[in-house]
Amino acid sequence: MESIKKLNQYLKRYKGTIILGGIFLTASNFFLIWIPVLIRQTMDEVEALGAEQTGEYDSLITILFSSEAGAVLAYNSLLLIGTVILYGLLLFATRQTLIVSSRKIEFDIRNTIMDKLLQLPQRYFAANRTGEIYVRATEDVGRVREYFGPVLMYTINTITRAGFIITMMIIVNPELTYWALLPLPFLSAFAYWVSGFINKYQLIIQEQYSRIAGKAQETFSSIRLIKAYNRIDYEQERFEEESDQYRKKKLKLDLVESLFHPTLNLLIGVSVLILVWKGGIMVIDGLISLGNIAEFVIYVAYLTWPVASLGYTVNTLQKSLASWERIDELLSEPVDILDNEDEISVSEDIMKGDIEFKNVSFKYPGSDEYALKNISLKIEAGSNVAIVGRTGSGKTTLVNLIPRLFDATDGEVLIDGTNVKKWSVKHLRKSIGYVPQETFLFSTTIKENIAFGVDDASIEQIEKAADNAQVLENILDFEKKFETLVGERGITLSGGQKQRTAIARAIIKEPSIVIFDDSLSAVDTKTEDAILEHLRVKLSEKTTIMISHRISTVKNADTIFYVQDGSLVEFGTHNELIKKEGHYSNMYRKQLLEQELAEI
Amino acid sequence: MTRKKKSEAVDSVLIRRLYYFFKPYRWWAIFAIFLTLSAAFLGTVRPKLTQVAVDDHIAIGDVDGLLWIVILLGLALIGEFFILILNTYITRWFGQGVLFSLRNSVFQKIQSLHVQFFDKNPIGRLITRTTNDIEALSQLLSDGIVNMIGDLFRIFFILYFMLMMSWELTIIAILVLPILFYSTFWFKGKVRVAFLEVRDQIARLNSFVQEHINGIMIVQLFNREKKERERFEKINAEHRHAHIKTIFYFSIFWPIVEVLASVAMALVVWYGGARALMDQVTFGVLLAFIQYVRQFFNPIRGLSEKYNTLQSALASSERIFDVLDTENEVYESDTPIKLDKVKGKIDFENVVFQYNEGEEVIINDISFTANPGELLAIVGATGAGKTTIINLLLRYYDINQGTIYLDGVDIKELSLKDLRKHFGLVLQDNALFSGTIHQNITLGNPDITREQVIKAAKEVEAHHFIKKLPGTYDYVLSERGASLSMGQRQLICFVRAMVYDPKILILDEATSSVDSETEELVSRACQRMMKGRTSIVIAHRLSTIQGADNILVMHKGKIRETGAHKELVDKEGGIYRRLYELQYKDQAVTSKTARN
Repeated sequence: MESIKKLNQYLKRYKGTIILGGIFLTASNFFLIWIPVLIRQTMDEVEALGAEQTGEYDSLITILFSSEAGAVLAYNSLLLIGTVILYGLLLFATRQTLIVSSRKIEFDIRNTIMDKLLQLPQRYFAANRTGEIYVRATEDVGRVREYFGPVLMYTINTITRAGFIITMMIIVNPELTYWALLPLPFLSAFAYWVSGFINKYQLIIQEQYSRIAGKAQETFSSIRLIKAYNRIDYEQERFEEESDQYRKKKLKLDLVESLFHPTLNLLIGVSVLILVWKGGIMVIDGLISLGNIAEFVIYVAYLTWPVASLGYTVNTLQKSLASWERIDELLSEPVDILDNEDEISVSEDIMKGDIEFKNVSFKYPGSDEYALKNISLKIEAGSNVAIVGRTGSGKTTLVNLIPRLFDATDGEVLIDGTNVKKWSVKHLRKSIGYVPQETFLFSTTIKENIAFGVDDASIEQIEKAADNAQVLENILDFEKKFETLVGERGITLSGGQKQRTAIARAIIKEPSIVIFDDSLSAVDTKTEDAILEHLRVKLSEKTTIMISHRISTVKNADTIFYVQDGSLVEFGTHNELIKKEGHYSNMYRKQLLEQELAEI
Repeated sequence: MTRKKKSEAVDSVLIRRLYYFFKPYRWWAIFAIFLTLSAAFLGTVRPKLTQVAVDDHIAIGDVDGLLWIVILLGLALIGEFFILILNTYITRWFGQGVLFSLRNSVFQKIQSLHVQFFDKNPIGRLITRTTNDIEALSQLLSDGIVNMIGDLFRIFFILYFMLMMSWELTIIAILVLPILFYSTFWFKGKVRVAFLEVRDQIARLNSFVQEHINGIMIVQLFNREKKERERFEKINAEHRHAHIKTIFYFSIFWPIVEVLASVAMALVVWYGGARALMDQVTFGVLLAFIQYVRQFFNPIRGLSEKYNTLQSALASSERIFDVLDTENEVYESDTPIKLDKVKGKIDFENVVFQYNEGEEVIINDISFTANPGELLAIVGATGAGKTTIINLLLRYYDINQGTIYLDGVDIKELSLKDLRKHFGLVLQDNALFSGTIHQNITLGNPDITREQVIKAAKEVEAHHFIKKLPGTYDYVLSERGASLSMGQRQLICFVRAMVYDPKILILDEATSSVDSETEELVSRACQRMMKGRTSIVIAHRLSTIQGADNILVMHKGKIRETGAHKELVDKEGGIYRRLYELQYKDQAVTSKTARN
């Protein structure tokens, strides 16, 4: 209930338009009922005229254009057409107000969600599957929109139309009304059941569909193995099983769907049948006119969809609210890593680049095991250090604590002697250049990607950063140079080009600390040397932290830290560690071997 | 013009080919058309019956006659009800049947194709062929065509009944149809464009969201929250605009349809009223016409919608038949030789292979022999052609020149099944499937008993850890074995290879992705598996292959050195020797740290 209240907040901005839309819709229904009324009136008048003057007319033209009867007919017909046009215009206005508002509200909700997503801490993204978050921000919003669009419109429509028509019917004849409306509640209930069943079953079918796709994926991606073990027939059998399941489930849904239209047809037909039967007797008894029967037949036809849509609307409403609840959950997520005004002591000073970890331990949300265990280390400003270790040993986790992508569970991370939590996050991140392990470029131009972190970067700055990252030549080789689009709609950069673009993106900020998380893995050794050489000159003043698997990358570092299972197990210079004959020297030997293999 | 003609010709071929899958159900389809015909009649006869009720009975106060007509009406109604249900269900049933066999055929075809086909086509595309493209045919095959015929019947019957009652009034009633046609046509065009725009905008919006969820770390690290939010708002606004444009067309179209239907009614009342005054048209006819006018509009709208379905279905079926027409490039011999007792001798004789003519030669004139029970090792850098040798041996690809023999028989003379059953294959990316461990080991072969599985598992020391899993051999692997360690997954693949008791064992970098703890276990398992079998081993780690009878050192598709371990090590300045020296040092260190 609380969350629905929050949802209705979005209505506020469009309150005027929505009320106007409601009025349009009500008015359109008001005019709609005049159509059957006018038809009845015409028929009654024709009947009356016919009774008075049978056989007097012999020319159609005379009747239509020059008699009293013709005038009545023309007047009624024109009135009818006028009413219909008014009805049409109002219907147009309704959709233009109500449905358009729903799209505007959808726009607002989407903005709110994006706002929130951009603020949420990494902790949230680590604890939730990206697919789930994606659905919140896309599909769920679409469903919530239906609450403001179709649900609202159909509800108003059903209420006002049924209200007018039933009132009109009762005025004409209460008893016939009662008989004619008898089948309609069943229609509503039936539509509710069918649309509920369809919603539920579509999920089941969707799941089975994914199973088929999953089976195909599994088989096709292991085709060598399957062929080697001669298991093609078995795979075929398994696929056909899933395929058959799909057919069966689909048929079950088909069965219910195949009930829907015939039943709708039947219930409306029953209504008409009752009208002919009961109405016919009433006409014979002189209680109502034939025109009334025609009128009622049209009324029933007008009620069909609003009544049937009632069942559909209830289901849609349920789905919308369920989606909203999930969105609301996302929006209520605390954004806890933001600056705490009282505690910030550093927001403008230039960062020198001293880093210290004091007994730092870290656990990922929802995990029992520590990813970092009691790590203490010091990195002096302007020094050049390296972190090595096996995959999964905690290297990335360690550097992530520096720009506060995560906060340490225990212990402190200090920069220039101040706890990172006391730095303004904006300033902290501005002073750190970070090249992540998985190079992520946005699908815009190369220029925008490089200048990502700098407002109004000049083209000279961008070119210089690209040059320092050894990617300038590649970029200039592209037809559109810096305006080249990256990603699906543009060109595909090679892994090395991507990494170097990401490096340019990090160093254009002129940061005090630069972190390279295995950022040269896709670059060949020669280019790597050139980049390192450039950076050494360019970054000599800055603190550089380099995570790498390659000895060639790290061997010149001032200090090398070897991390294993979240603990710091060795550190020192390359030569010191080689002498030690421990983990590092072991890794070194292995790499020499692999290098040899590659070079034969 | 010629293009259009050509595409029409293609369409008719497609329809004929689809008919092949449809054929088993053709009598059902004919039955369904008959049902449609009856339903169309029963549906359209009702307004006619109300006319009779009004004119022949109510008008003269004949209550008994009225009752009869009402009973007839009721029967028509109930008849239509059941026929419609039956009809819809039957059409869906055979539609699903056709889709079922079509889907299975596509899967079967893809599976049977040569391995190079899988190299050329991304897996995603192949999945689309077996799922999406088949699904796109669903509407066409289930109720599409039958409903189209039904719509035509309906229009026919309505016209028939209307003409029967009054041809003049019929003309008056359908006077607005040209306008309806025109506006439907206009609407279709506009909405198609608008929908394309909406689809583009949705894709843009969604990919922006997707991209920013994935790249959220970068956004935050670079303090770009505000800027990205502004960019999103722009895209979001364009998305909204595209929708609002579509709403505009809909909010014009639906009122127009309603207005036209009502105008038709008004015309009927106006003209019919005059005719009624002349006693040439009765009230019953007027009432029937009012109903017919409404009934008439639905099938016409339905027909124009179904035409679109047909178009997209044909596009999908074209893609499906493309797959079904792909030729298998690895041919099986028509008169295969049967090999009963295989000893396991393998010969490569001047084998040359390239993927396509004029392209780089992958395997360049290679000859070697592996005798029964021998261990043949292949070393070399990535891209040297090590794995290709195995692919050729198993006939994933066919060689361009030279011959490969198994026990002295050209492998092209054997049936693929007969050839491959002699090999046990363990690949680098230890592929597990969803299902139980038992299923993963037997690959669904019911002839393999649990005892055999356990025996093989014990042989490679996998029994020990499998025993500890909940449900042991019936433990269900989630997400293709993600819950197991790399080493454990590898051991399961070993058991799989062992349980078939192959004559020839192939290990393609089978030990490279294993962590240090299980490394020893795995290499011990390797040793045991190789006993009594011809083995071909590709390895990075030289320790596994020291005992090899013959080692091929490959470089760029050629054999650079060959010989037994000792020969190669003794060779002054040899590649293998250099590798071995480094390896030796490495081992010394490994054993030292292991002790620590």
